[in-house]
Amino acid sequence: MTRFQLIAIRLLLLALVLTAWDVLPRNNVINPLLLPPFGDVLKVLVEILGRAQVQEAILVTAAEVIVAFVIAVPLGAAIGVLIAEYDYAGQIFKPLLFYVFSVPKSIFLPMFILIMGIGFQQKVAYAAFSTLFVVIMSATAAVESVKADHVLVARSYGATRMQILTRVYVPSMMPILLETLRISMIFNFTGVMIAEMYASRTGIGHLIANWGENFQLPQLFAGVILLAAVAIAFNETVRYLEHRVSAWRT
Amino acid sequence: MRRPAPSTVRWLILVALLVFWELFPRTGIIPELFLPSLSKTIAVLIKDWREYTSELAVTLYEVAFAMLIACGFGILAGALVGGIALLRNLLLPVFSSLYAVPIVILYPIFTAWFGIGSESKIIFAGVYGFFPVMLSTAAGIRTIDPQLLLAARSMGATLPQQITRVIIPASIPTVLTGLRLGGALTIIGVVVAEMLTSAAGIGYLVTRYRTILDSPHVFGAIVMILLLSIAFDTLARAIERRTMVWQIAGRRQKEGEQADIAVKPATAVV
Amino acid sequence: MANLSVVLNAPADAAIEVAGLGHIYAGGDSAVPALTDIAMTVGTGQFVVIVGPSGCGKTSLLMMMAGLRHQTSGTIHIQGRPIDAPDPDRVGVVFQEASLFPWLSALDNIEFPLALRRAPREERAARANDMLNLVGLQGFGARYPHELSGGMKQRVSIARGLVQDPPVLLMDEPFAALDEQTRMTMGHELLRIWSQTAKTVVFVTHSLTEAVYLADEVLVMSARPGRIIDRIAINLPRPRTYEMMATDVFGRLRDRIWQQIRKEG
Repeated sequence: MTRFQLIAIRLLLLALVLTAWDVLPRNNVINPLLLPPFGDVLKVLVEILGRAQVQEAILVTAAEVIVAFVIAVPLGAAIGVLIAEYDYAGQIFKPLLFYVFSVPKSIFLPMFILIMGIGFQQKVAYAAFSTLFVVIMSATAAVESVKADHVLVARSYGATRMQILTRVYVPSMMPILLETLRISMIFNFTGVMIAEMYASRTGIGHLIANWGENFQLPQLFAGVILLAAVAIAFNETVRYLEHRVSAWRT
Repeated sequence: MRRPAPSTVRWLILVALLVFWELFPRTGIIPELFLPSLSKTIAVLIKDWREYTSELAVTLYEVAFAMLIACGFGILAGALVGGIALLRNLLLPVFSSLYAVPIVILYPIFTAWFGIGSESKIIFAGVYGFFPVMLSTAAGIRTIDPQLLLAARSMGATLPQQITRVIIPASIPTVLTGLRLGGALTIIGVVVAEMLTSAAGIGYLVTRYRTILDSPHVFGAIVMILLLSIAFDTLARAIERRTMVWQIAGRRQKEGEQADIAVKPATAVV
Repeated sequence: MANLSVVLNAPADAAIEVAGLGHIYAGGDSAVPALTDIAMTVGTGQFVVIVGPSGCGKTSLLMMMAGLRHQTSGTIHIQGRPIDAPDPDRVGVVFQEASLFPWLSALDNIEFPLALRRAPREERAARANDMLNLVGLQGFGARYPHELSGGMKQRVSIARGLVQDPPVLLMDEPFAALDEQTRMTMGHELLRIWSQTAKTVVFVTHSLTEAVYLADEVLVMSARPGRIIDRIAINLPRPRTYEMMATDVFGRLRDRIWQQIRKEG
């Protein structure tokens, strides 16, 4: 099957699903109060994007996501690199990190709220906290993925540490780094959403939770579609970059 | 001085953390509101153990069913999508794109549909755990050595025999990793759902006591959740280790870590 | 010397007869001829080695003899009957990768073909143990593949191929993944096992030394599309010894093969 055929089939499936989403509720096969027809949801989506309240919420959420990301990624990368470089530290902390990973980080949300209230800082702090561990683990994996052989070859030609860093480590790690960014963003976005839905007065997550509580389902679905679209758009962009950069990878 | 073994250092760190947890609040370095002392938290747990255990029971009930959904469907879908080339090429990129969406935003939809009782939590956590299990199973299925099937065919194995005597035993390590992953994520999903909108469960306790600023009770609930997920993780790893005997040691380590860190979509060439 | 008498007294039928065999890969947009005009006869109890450049199709040919792949034209008869599906009663296969099931012990791996046939337990265990001893691994039955060295794994693989006592044994570069010293030992061991069991063996290899050392006859294949371009009878006395490798005769035989393959580039 060629790429075009695959894409065509997927689009076809999508069209099928969306059509069913529209037709079935409209004809009362499915309760339209529970599942508003897709057409209505789209109309509502356009409408809410025009509302100032929604636009503000989008900006707030975007700001939280970006700031948390900018904090968590460099910090996590630095820690991850240290753990990878210093074997002893790695042996100590890696098993701990694995446990931490399987713990629901949302249980610490109340702590953040108790300490920082429910404002911008708390959400950013929590999101950064929940993203941090993924970044650490991915950064560690990225550094460890650089083949020792390649480093040895560079050293045997007298490369300085800086040269080894830029000419061996960075190109070698680039695909994984991009993947790290992608996965970290997923966790980051999730963290912001959880914080906004849990206890917040601003942000898209809060709006969605509100719409849900008030059974305003068309708006709720519109919000979900909006968020999903943004998340997928970002994800695919980074994936495309990953693809471009990793042609040499076996 | 010789360096102490890493596991010793780990235990020391944990002990130190516990000591700080006790001392810092007591001495006022950290306000009791932010972090009640360890002894207070434990005291509260013991005093109100009835309440905690009954809510824990609700949570466990939800986790069990959610795990059935997430792991059952996840492994099945993962095996099908990973194993059948057409499905894999068609659907796997779609699923790994969907994985990028924070599933938590679907929760209000589930509460609108199913109410705030256990059903919405079970379905939500089921969906929450489904994607990573499916993606990791799909990736893992492809690591099964095709030569094994060739050898079996050369010995005259029929198709049912190939499935039962080769494919299934060879898939067990992958399936176990998927179960461990799915289990951890369904616990997370249930807890998050209970914290957001609920009238029962350990997560609900966290929220209830937070809103009345009762820190010791909040932390009591947090401790219970921590114990739950650590217990599950330890149990799952123990089971994995016992069946590990046949996996090539080097490869299994990588699989475990990969599945934990990031669910690698099958676009990574294998 | 049991083998010699078997050959001398054997019925004239060939164990393996390949006639007019050709194979065309239909792949993508073009059809690629992989094998053309393959005709060969292997007498009962003979040890035949096939050599050729990479990609010449020797492995494909072996897979077809094993019934694991279908040729597009021509016939393969084993013991007078055509083969179109794996038939472990007639043909045992040993692959380059030992392909032992990692979740089974060595003994269970050897038993596997018998378990597929649902043979009774004691019979399975007895047969498997016999094979284990035959390949020189007595006492290692309970070990798992990850506890065995490369050479030991291949021995288990050979034992597994022999456990149903097929008259024909096909071996696809079984020692390629082993280091040179182990290869030489394994080659020697293989000849011992062969002399004790009087099987008909078709052995594919890249190693010219191995070919001359092991074979009664060496078939040289051309590059794709694979044809048989030379048949060389190896008249060195049996049992073969390491010292023979240093003789002029050995060197000339190997050189003859090499010249043929060189021409194929």
